[in-house]
Amino acid sequence: MTILKLPTFAPSTLTNAASLIRILALAFIAGAAISSRLFAVINFESIIHEFDPWFNYRATRVLASQGFTEFWNWFDPTAWYPLGRVVGGTIYPGLMATSGVIYNILHALHLPVDIRNVCVLLAPGFSGLTAWATYMLTKELKDESAGLLAAIFIGIAPGYISRSVAGSYDNEAIAIFLLMITFYIWIRALKDGSVLYGTLAAVFYFYMVAAWGGYAFITNMIPLHAFVLLLMGRFSHRLYSAYSAWYAVGTLASMQVPFVGFQPVLTSEHMAALGVFGLLQLVAFVETIRNLLASKQFQLMLRWFLIAAGVAGGLIIVGLTVTKTIAPWTGRFYSLWDTGYAKKYIPIIASVSEHQPTAWPAFFMDLHMLIFLFPAGVVLCFKELREEHVFVIIYSVMASYFAGVMVRLMLTLTPVVCMTAAIALSSLLDTYLNVDEPANPDANGVKETATSGAETPVDGTISKKKKKGVAAAAAAAAVTPSIATKAKGRSSAENGIFGIDTRILVIGNAIFMLVMFVLHCTWVTSTAYSSPSVVLASRRPDGSQNIIDDFREAYYWLRQNTPQDSVVMSWWDYGYQIAGMADRPTLVDNNTWNNTHIATVGKAMSSPEEISYPILRKHDVDYILVIFGGLIGYSGDDVNKFLWMVRIAQGVWPDEIKESNYFTPRGEYKVDDQASEAMKNSLMYKMSYYRFNDLFSGAPAFDRVRNQQMPKEGPKLDYIEEAFTSENWIVRIYKVKKEDPLGRDLKTAHAFDGGKRRKPSKPISRRKALAA
Amino acid sequence: MQQRLLSWLAITLTVLASAWARSSAGDKVLVVSDAKLEAAEYSQFWDGLKNRGYELTFRKTSEEAPATSSFDVPSFSHIIVFAPSTKTYPADISPQSLVHLLSDPTQPTNILFVLQPSTPSSPLRDLGREFGISFPPPATPLIDYFNAVSPSNATSLLLTPPVTPHTPGFNGGDVLYSGVAHLRSNNPLLVDFLNAPPTSFSADPLEPADVIVEVAASGGEGFWAGGRMGLVTGFEVLRGGGRATWVGSLDLFRNAATAINGKPTANNAYALALASWTFQETSVLRIDSVEHRRISESSPRDQYRIKDDLIYRIHVSAYNPATGEWEPTSQIDDMQLEFTMLDPHIRTALSPVQGEKGWYETKFRAPDRHGVFKFIVDWRRKRYTALHSSTTVSVVPFRHNEYPRFLSSAWPYYLGALSTSAAFVLFCALWLLGGNEEEKKKTQ
Repeated sequence: MTILKLPTFAPSTLTNAASLIRILALAFIAGAAISSRLFAVINFESIIHEFDPWFNYRATRVLASQGFTEFWNWFDPTAWYPLGRVVGGTIYPGLMATSGVIYNILHALHLPVDIRNVCVLLAPGFSGLTAWATYMLTKELKDESAGLLAAIFIGIAPGYISRSVAGSYDNEAIAIFLLMITFYIWIRALKDGSVLYGTLAAVFYFYMVAAWGGYAFITNMIPLHAFVLLLMGRFSHRLYSAYSAWYAVGTLASMQVPFVGFQPVLTSEHMAALGVFGLLQLVAFVETIRNLLASKQFQLMLRWFLIAAGVAGGLIIVGLTVTKTIAPWTGRFYSLWDTGYAKKYIPIIASVSEHQPTAWPAFFMDLHMLIFLFPAGVVLCFKELREEHVFVIIYSVMASYFAGVMVRLMLTLTPVVCMTAAIALSSLLDTYLNVDEPANPDANGVKETATSGAETPVDGTISKKKKKGVAAAAAAAAVTPSIATKAKGRSSAENGIFGIDTRILVIGNAIFMLVMFVLHCTWVTSTAYSSPSVVLASRRPDGSQNIIDDFREAYYWLRQNTPQDSVVMSWWDYGYQIAGMADRPTLVDNNTWNNTHIATVGKAMSSPEEISYPILRKHDVDYILVIFGGLIGYSGDDVNKFLWMVRIAQGVWPDEIKESNYFTPRGEYKVDDQASEAMKNSLMYKMSYYRFNDLFSGAPAFDRVRNQQMPKEGPKLDYIEEAFTSENWIVRIYKVKKEDPLGRDLKTAHAFDGGKRRKPSKPISRRKALAA
Repeated sequence: MQQRLLSWLAITLTVLASAWARSSAGDKVLVVSDAKLEAAEYSQFWDGLKNRGYELTFRKTSEEAPATSSFDVPSFSHIIVFAPSTKTYPADISPQSLVHLLSDPTQPTNILFVLQPSTPSSPLRDLGREFGISFPPPATPLIDYFNAVSPSNATSLLLTPPVTPHTPGFNGGDVLYSGVAHLRSNNPLLVDFLNAPPTSFSADPLEPADVIVEVAASGGEGFWAGGRMGLVTGFEVLRGGGRATWVGSLDLFRNAATAINGKPTANNAYALALASWTFQETSVLRIDSVEHRRISESSPRDQYRIKDDLIYRIHVSAYNPATGEWEPTSQIDDMQLEFTMLDPHIRTALSPVQGEKGWYETKFRAPDRHGVFKFIVDWRRKRYTALHSSTTVSVVPFRHNEYPRFLSSAWPYYLGALSTSAAFVLFCALWLLGGNEEEKKKTQ
C-alpha cells in the first residue's frame, strides 16, 4: 500500500540517475564548503590569518624557494634568539610540503600562482576533500543519502570552518581531511580484512603524522577500536590483518618524521597501539592453536597463558614507564584529564586561550542542531553495532570528552557529530519519505498491538517537537524500527507512517531545521570566524566598516626602519607575526618549547627598568614591542595578558617575581592610582601607558579596556625610549638604549640630559674615626 | 649603503688629515676660554700644539661662534676648555652637548678640561660628576707643606709625574702644580695620570689649620686628603674611543710656570704630553679586519656546524704619531676571543701570528650546541683605545646527510632485518613448493 503513486523507471535508469545526482551533489557540496570559507578573503583580503599560520607561511616560502632538502635542514637563527630553532626537526612538515607540491605542480603547468595564494586557499580546498572523505565514511555506516547529508554538514559546520577559513593556514587545515580519510580506509581495511587497505591506512596515517600533532588521536582511536572489538569477542582474522598491517607500516613510517623520531616506541601516548598490537598477536596465536587442538584443558591452559602474557606485557610497560625508559605523560596530556592541572603546574599551557575548557554555548554555536541530533545518531549506531558502528561510538565518546576539556578539540568532535547527525536525520527522512504505508492493521490484529506501540511515540514526539522545535533527535530515535524493517524488505512493511499529513509535518520541520542550520552556519562563519585578527574591523556610527590596521602598520615600520639584524622582544603571541611580517629576529614565539626563555621575557616585562635592562642587553634586544588596547578598547592587549607573564616568570624565579605583588591590597587587578608598586614600576605598565596622558590634553587619561582612570602623573622611562606608536596606539615599539658612553647608569644619564643636577658626593672616609 | 659611503668618506678624510697632523683624529682644535682669560699667557702651550700641526681656533665663552658642530657633524676634532670660572655656557658648549660630542661613536671630539682652585664653576663641577669625578668645596685648593715650592706658598707644589709611554715627550722632571684636587669614583673608564701627594689636602689656603683641627675632632670624616685624590685624570668613553682629560690646574699650562726661581720645569712638556694622549696621538689602536672560517676552507660562512674546527683572525694596528701612519702591531699579548651565546661557550687566547705582523689568531672547535653565536673580542686596557669587535654567526646542527650512515652498534638490527627478509623468502618458496604436494595428497 502506498500513499503516493511514483512513476516507475527501469532499475538501471534509477541507479544511473542516482549516481549522477550523487556526483553532482558532492560537487556542489564541495563548492559550498569552499565558497563559505571565502568570507575572509571577500571581507578583507587574501591574507594569512592569526599567529601560527604566519610561521607556516614563512616556512612554506622557504620550502618553495630553496627546495625540500634545504627546508629539511633549515636552521632559523632569527627565532628564539639567540638559541635559534632547528625548524626541520621541530615541525610537522606535512602542511608546507603539501603547499610546496601544489605550488610546484601549478608552476609546472605554467600557472604562475603566488605561494601566498596557495597557502591562503589551501584550507578551503581541503575542506572539499574532507566533505568527500566524510561522505565515504558515512556511506560505510549507513548509505549514500546519509553520506551526502554528512558531507554537507561537515562542509559548512562552523566547528570545522573555524579552523579552515581561507587564510587560516594551519596544520588543522589538512589534518581533518587526513583524519577522516584514515578512519575511512581503516574501516574499509577492517571490513575486507585487507592488508592492502591496512597499508593504505598506514600511508595516510603517516601523512597525518607529518601534518599535525593531533595524530595521537588516531594512534589511540584505532587501537581502542581494536581492543573494544576484542573485548566484545569479535576477534577475526580481518581485524588481525588490518591492524597488524596498519600498525607495523604506520609506526615505521611515522618514525621517519624527524620531529616524531623514536617517540612511537618511547612515549606513553603511543604505548596503547603497541600493547594492542602485542595482544592481537597473542590472541591470534591462541586462536590458531585452538583451531588445531581440541582438548578443553589445553584451551583453558592457553587462556591462562593469554592472561598471563597480557598482564606481563602490561607490567613491562608500567615498569618501563616508572624507570623513565618510556617518557612519562606530558603536561598537555595531563591537562586533558585534570583541567586545573595546567594552571597549577604549567602556566605556559594554561595561558593559551585555545587550551581552556569549552563553554556550553560554544557547542551550539559551532554545531547548531547537529548537537541535538548527535545522541540520536549514536543510539542508531547501537542498533546496528557492526564493527564500524562500534568505531563511531568510541569516537563520539572520546571526542565529546576532549571537546569539553579543550576548546580547540571541538575540531575533532565536529566530524563525528556530522556523521551521526546525518545518520539520524537520514533515518528520519527515510522513514517519512517512504511512500509505503504499513499493512492495514485490521488485516492481522495480532500485529496491531505490536506496531501501535511503535507508532504512538512517533505522534507524541511530533507534537513535542512542535513545541520545542528542535527535538528531531527524539523522533529519529523513535522511528528506528523502520530501519530494521527496511533491511528486511520494503514490500512487507509492518511498521511505518500512516497518511500524508504527518509526513509533511515532520519533513517540513526537518527542512525548516536544515534551512536554519545553513543560515546559522553562514552567519557564524561570516561574523565570528572570518576575521584575520591581523586586521581588525569595527563599525562606524553610520554603519560603514572601519579597518584597524595597526599591526601591519607597526610591523612594516619595523621592516622599513630598523636594521635587518635588530632583535625585537615581545610577548610570545606576536613572535610569528614579527618574524613573518617584519622579518626581524624575535626572542620568543608561538612555538612555546622553551619555558625558561619565555619566563625570561616575562621577567623582563614584569620587572622594573633597572632589573630588566641587563636582561635586555644580554639578549641583544634592540626593540620591544607591546600591544596596548587602552585607547580604542582592544581587549586582547598585553596588560590583560600581563598576569600570565608574571605567572610564567614566577614559575622560574619565585623569589623575584610574585604574582600577589601585582594586585592591590584588596586583591584587585588595577592600573589606576591604586595600582601596586610592582605593577606601576613594571616595564610592561610603563611601556603601555608612557605618554598616554598627553593624549587627553590635561583631562585625566582613561583606559577603555579596564575602564579605569589613569593616574595624573604618567610613567617615566630611562632605559628605553619610544620609537614608534601606531595610529590607534595598539602597537607601541620602544628602542632599548645602549649603555651610557660615560659609564653611568641610564637613569642618571637621562636625568643629566634633562638638565637635572646630581647630588654632590662627599669623599668616603676610609679611616676609622679616631677616639677623641 | 649611504652610511657605508659616509664612513668611507670619513676614513679617507681622516687619512688625509693625518698627513699633516699628529693626531689620529684630526687637527682642528677649538680653545674655549673665559672672557677674562689672557690667551697670551699660555702662548708656549699654543705654540707647542701648533708645532705639532694643530690648527687652533680661539673662542670666548661669551661668543656664539664658531659652533662646535653644524648639522650634527662635529666641526672640531678636539676642544680645550680653558674656562674654569664661566657660570653659563652657550648651548653648543653646554655640558650636555660636550658629552654628546665626546661620546659620538664614530667621530668623537676629544676634550681637555682645565680647572682652577678658586672656582671650579658649577657647570663644570656638575659635569665632572657625570664622569665620576667630584671636587672639594669651592675655593679649597690643594695644599701640601712637604712638596711646596716655598713654605709660605703651600698651594704651589712641585710634583714628579710618572713617565709612561702614553705621555711621550715628557721625560721626567718636576712639574709646577697649583690647583684643585678631585676624587675619582670607581668608574672603570677613568684613567689616573697624576695623583696628589700623600701629604696633601684640600682646604682654604687662608686658614688651613682650622680645617685640620676641625677634621681631627671628627676623626678624619669628610677630609679631602691623601694620595688617592687625583690631579690629572683621563677618561675614555665606552664606545668610539673619544678621550677627555681633567686637569686640576690652569697654572700648569701658564708660560710663567715653565720656570720657577730660575730653574726650568717640565710643565710645557707635560702639558703637551697630556694633550697628545687626549688628542688621540698615543696609545691609539684599531681593529682593521676580522676573519673567520673553517680551518679546511678559505672563505667565511654565515653558518658553521657544531664541532667544526674554526679559525679566527683579527688584525690590529696602532697609530704612530711620528709618521702619522697606522702600523700593524703585535704587541698585545693578552687579547682573548669569546665565542658567546648568552654566555661565553669558549674563551681562548688570541696570540700574535709569527711572521704576519698585526695578525692575531686562534683555532678552536665549535661547541656542541647550536644557536646564534658571536665572536667577541673585547680588549680594554687603561690608557689604550678599547678594542671591541663582535661578529654574529649561526652554529647549526648536522645536516640530515652528515650523520654516519652505518653504525656498528646497529648490527643486531641489520641482521634482524636481513634474516627476517631471508626467512620470508624461504617461507614463500617452501609454501609454494609444498602447496602442490598437499593438493596432490588431497586429490589422491
